[in-house]
Amino acid sequence: MTGRVTGARVRRGLVVAGVVAAVAFPLVSHDPYWQTVLYMCFLMALLAVGWNVVSGFTGYASLGQGAFLGYGAYATSLLTLRTHAPVWWFVPVGGVVAAVIAALLGLVAMRLRGHAFVIITIALVYISQLVAINWRSVTGGTNGLTLPLPIYGRDWQNTPYYYALLVLLAASVALSAWIRRTKLGAGLIAIREDEDKAVAIGVNAFAYKLVAFVASALFAGMAGGVYAYALTFIDPTGMFDILFSVQLVLAALLGGRGSVWGPVLGGFLIEFIDEGTNRLFGGGQVHIVLFGAIMVAVIVFLPRGIVPSAERLLRRRRERREGRVDQSVDLRVTEREPHRPPVTGRTLLELRDVHKRFAGVHAVDGLSFAVQEGSITALIGPNGSGKTTAFNLVHGMLRPDAGEIVLDGRRVERLPAHRRAHLGLGRTFQITRLFPEMTVLENVVAPLPRFSWRRLAAGAVSGAEAERARELLAFVGMAAFAGKRAGELSFGQQKLVEIAQTLMLDPKLILLDEPSGGVTPAIVERMVDRIRELNAGGKTFLIVEHNLPLVAELCDPVVVMAAGKRIAEDSAAAVQADPVVLDAYLGADWNGERVEA
Amino acid sequence: MTQLIEVLVLGLLLGGIYALAASGLTLVFGVMGIVNVTQGAFLVLGAYLTWLLWRVLGVDPIVLALVTTPIMFGVGWLVYQLVIRHLRDAPKATTVLATFAVGLVIVGGLGMVFSNDFRSVTPAYADRAFHIGALYVPEARLYGCGVAVVLLLGLWQLLTRTWLGRAIRAAAENPDAARLAGIDVVLVAALTFSIGTATTGAGGSLIAVLYPFFPATAYVWISRLLGIVVLGGMSSLRGTFIGALLMGVAEMVVSTYVSTSWTTAVPYLVILVVLLLRPDGLFGRRERRDVAVAR
Amino acid sequence: MPGRGWAHGVIRVIRPRIPALPAALLVLALAATGCGGGGGTGGGPIKIGISLPLTGDLAQPGKEARRGYEIWRDFTNAAGGLLGRKVQPKIVDDASSQKTIVTDYQRLISQDRVDLLFGTFSSLLNLPASAVAEKNGMLYVEPAGGAPEMFTRGFTHLFFAQEATAPHQADLLAAWVCGLPANRRPKSAAYVSQDDPFAKPVVAAIRPKLESCGVRTVYGLKTYPADQTSFDAVVNGIKASKADAVFQGAVFDDGVGVIRQMKQVGYSPKLLFQTSAPSESDQYAKGIGPKNTEGVFYTVSWDQHAATTGNAKFVAEYRKRFGADPAEDAADAFATAQVVAAAVKAVGSLDQDKLAAWLHKNSVNTVEGKLSWDRTGAPTGRFLLAQWQGGSSRLVLPPDLATSKNIVYPKPTWQ
Repeated sequence: MTGRVTGARVRRGLVVAGVVAAVAFPLVSHDPYWQTVLYMCFLMALLAVGWNVVSGFTGYASLGQGAFLGYGAYATSLLTLRTHAPVWWFVPVGGVVAAVIAALLGLVAMRLRGHAFVIITIALVYISQLVAINWRSVTGGTNGLTLPLPIYGRDWQNTPYYYALLVLLAASVALSAWIRRTKLGAGLIAIREDEDKAVAIGVNAFAYKLVAFVASALFAGMAGGVYAYALTFIDPTGMFDILFSVQLVLAALLGGRGSVWGPVLGGFLIEFIDEGTNRLFGGGQVHIVLFGAIMVAVIVFLPRGIVPSAERLLRRRRERREGRVDQSVDLRVTEREPHRPPVTGRTLLELRDVHKRFAGVHAVDGLSFAVQEGSITALIGPNGSGKTTAFNLVHGMLRPDAGEIVLDGRRVERLPAHRRAHLGLGRTFQITRLFPEMTVLENVVAPLPRFSWRRLAAGAVSGAEAERARELLAFVGMAAFAGKRAGELSFGQQKLVEIAQTLMLDPKLILLDEPSGGVTPAIVERMVDRIRELNAGGKTFLIVEHNLPLVAELCDPVVVMAAGKRIAEDSAAAVQADPVVLDAYLGADWNGERVEA
Repeated sequence: MTQLIEVLVLGLLLGGIYALAASGLTLVFGVMGIVNVTQGAFLVLGAYLTWLLWRVLGVDPIVLALVTTPIMFGVGWLVYQLVIRHLRDAPKATTVLATFAVGLVIVGGLGMVFSNDFRSVTPAYADRAFHIGALYVPEARLYGCGVAVVLLLGLWQLLTRTWLGRAIRAAAENPDAARLAGIDVVLVAALTFSIGTATTGAGGSLIAVLYPFFPATAYVWISRLLGIVVLGGMSSLRGTFIGALLMGVAEMVVSTYVSTSWTTAVPYLVILVVLLLRPDGLFGRRERRDVAVAR
Repeated sequence: MPGRGWAHGVIRVIRPRIPALPAALLVLALAATGCGGGGGTGGGPIKIGISLPLTGDLAQPGKEARRGYEIWRDFTNAAGGLLGRKVQPKIVDDASSQKTIVTDYQRLISQDRVDLLFGTFSSLLNLPASAVAEKNGMLYVEPAGGAPEMFTRGFTHLFFAQEATAPHQADLLAAWVCGLPANRRPKSAAYVSQDDPFAKPVVAAIRPKLESCGVRTVYGLKTYPADQTSFDAVVNGIKASKADAVFQGAVFDDGVGVIRQMKQVGYSPKLLFQTSAPSESDQYAKGIGPKNTEGVFYTVSWDQHAATTGNAKFVAEYRKRFGADPAEDAADAFATAQVVAAAVKAVGSLDQDKLAAWLHKNSVNTVEGKLSWDRTGAPTGRFLLAQWQGGSSRLVLPPDLATSKNIVYPKPTWQ
């Protein structure tokens, strides 16, 4: 633990020293050149910090961040020119305008993922540029806009911009650090790691991404106003320059996406490299080659960036020094008679004539079945019978083409997955989908029972939640692993953690997708025991499983699917004797053998 | 009326050449799932190669496509081995950034070698045209489109008639199954990337004869190629061909009847509208994607 | 953790230097470049700070400007310098970037402590660069950058070293067209321009003048973006309008592109004017074919045959060094240096305010002819009208500077 404290102290010391140096600099040196270089560093750093919120935390790589600078610059300049009031009044307005534009663009762009999102952000930069060029009556077209020349005296000519951008940088870092600590940040990282999973545990991904996009634009927009004033002149090609966006993306990648301080470091490094090479080789083409090459090298050789890589190295060394803590899974099983909760006779889930087609394949073809409250219902069938599709339809990853899905008396087939999670539906995945970069504890705390703005601001791991999460981890036997990163766990351990994660929202119905697949017998036994325990406490289960002896031991009733339809539903014993079922499994090793997944 | 026919003819001829230029992007996306925005830089690199060889050898630039194509194949192979190979596990968005960065290196390198001046390849027929009544058909554009269509047919044959083509299509359809069937998916990816680079480079050779170019022309092409491919459904060669024809005509129509100032906006608007309203493009298959229905 | 006293102590100790951690990094990063700072007053050479677009989009004029400045330096030093001191221009590259040019001029002023500044190329770069100079109270004479916006900001130290701002570039041409007898005058005109702050105002200003003498506007004014390379639509539109005269704001490649397209569609106007493209002599003739240059009008700030101050010597030296005819951009840079040098000689010191005040009151003879300025720093003269004749460019107006008595009109059709 001492190593950690020292590391934190070193970092705090560095930050304090940096802040003191930055604040003091203009007081001791009036050199406008170094002030210019430094305020360009601040600008690059604060843009990279903003980019990091949407692209580092959330994983939505954008090449459009530079455009927010442009929106802010144009808004501030236009208001100044129309009203003849001091430029500084409109700097915050520039930020608000950029944020509003971000919200509108986000409504559009945040529907897309992966490469489609990058492409559309590139398009947005160029479209913004074209609008600025062609909307002459407002933007002045290619002539650009010229701002009044500020006269702060020769010695202080750049000091106002210096401090303004320093304050904005500080504010960006503070916002970014705050986001990282809150539920919002945890949700964004969950989205980056696995968006579908994040939605499955109740994260309203769209709202989260939108908030992140707006947050990333706010200070960039304000900085745009300051930058425009410092330049005294803006034009479309200068303000909406894709290469500028590339530079700030490079800054964030180099410093370390996803970390709070990485983009700051990257911003300074890139600006120094820019200015240094400018003096060594001249600018232009050499710069383009250099930045392209650095970017390729960072992506290929240093994908995490400097700060996270260094932290990882330090953590590894500390772990090696401190030696491994003995960690093991609690595999104790309660010896008791199978106990069923009282059957209420209520139907918890019902599918009515549900259809789903993919490119000609009728994956689910008029499926109907019901799950009674308090039951452990199994859904089995040969490969390709549509079980997983049915699961995805229930849980909300897919929408049915036709039919109704009723959860606890409420039609849900049109609701997004996170809303269904809020209504009491939990699920695990066939291949576990924990967030590998988060700790086990953070994973269990990640689920959100409902969406509210106030909750976004709550601490990511509050005391009460952490306590409950620890209880759940103890319940599945994983208490010893709370501080470990989920990506480092074995597959079986991950399955147990995923069950604990699902329980965090206290769901009424839990969908388990092949809980025993790829898991050691000891852990399977523990899992079965926990399922029984939960069932005894009133939880209802719907399980897709290939391990038929397990199904026979645990589940009643058993629903059998083939070719997208329900072909049988009965007790395990009765189903095994049903000729229709045997027929469906034709050729497959039925009678107790495991069917290959 | 004559003007409309003229616009359509010019647009379609242009579209044929666009199709060849865009075929590489489609191929690489179809097989590797990578949006290779380096293609814009490859195209301009092909144009510069053509210009250089034309200046030095004095050979007809369109014939030179025979020489530039294998060279560009080699360039593609090199870029694959140096960079793309390492991106297999990277997130998709990161691969776009990486290929953009490779493009920057090429664009900057071209600027260092050839300076930033416009270059044009002007064989004797560059400014000639066939006049049919009130219509005119520029010779260079006609020849260029012809060669593009021939090369595309060749590519089509390669994909449908040869072992390599079947391997490429198998890898595109289902990489895991292809691997099980004994196909070296990595080799296929390298070959696909190189073929994609070569066809785009050949497109660059033809473009060189039509328009002046300089290194930063690459950025215009990135958007144009993306627009075409998005319109055509990303991974369908047939869709790309039709998308390219539509793009050629759309650009001509906008610059004639709206304003030249907005012509550059056409690809971006296409990208925006198609990705939002019909993400699978006009001709893409509706593929299974178990994605969350966020809102 | 160190307390207040520590911080104060450090600040006091390092006060004369560049302080603290970022500064240490800066020094490290830039040590190799040998940035020295240091004052330049006293007996040493007069240092002149210049940032030019030597690479990037504007590299072509940037490199020519460097030639002009360097020839001036060598002439001046050979003649004993300025105020008895050698001149030492320091030319850095801004890569055609607005972001870089600001730090460049800032550095030249505060780090290199230059005594004088010369301007850079294009309005886009001169707009932010001149603001840095003005903030620092430095005289800023620019060889290019005639966009009207330059002169609306109330700057007192800014001067444009050409004869006229963009809107007045083609005044002579408009007057000549309107002076033609009605039956020879073109009946209709098309106006088209690159969307460029320097090219577009030229063409925009011709239009009302010609309309006032009865030349109908049948096309335009339409603009196309700077990166446009395909001119099908533009030329088809002009052809369909059947305009007698075409006025194009052509920077360079667009001028060549439009003419090549005109040849393709088989359309040749009676009068063709392009702003600056035809002044790039060799490249222009090669681009469209030497015979097709015949009769094309354009405006220039300077002509190599003009009998202006120092012109013959400048042209001879340029030919000797570079084996080609000088480009206009090189001459504009040379003229800029002549303007600053004249002011320094007249004032007898490097006092920036006095230099600016002197230029506001006086005129200077340069290779472009006599230049004078209004209180905004905008020049008050007229551009020269040139025309391609027999494979080379000739000045045709004004008559006192003309190198050809004859004006080719109507323009012969394309070969």
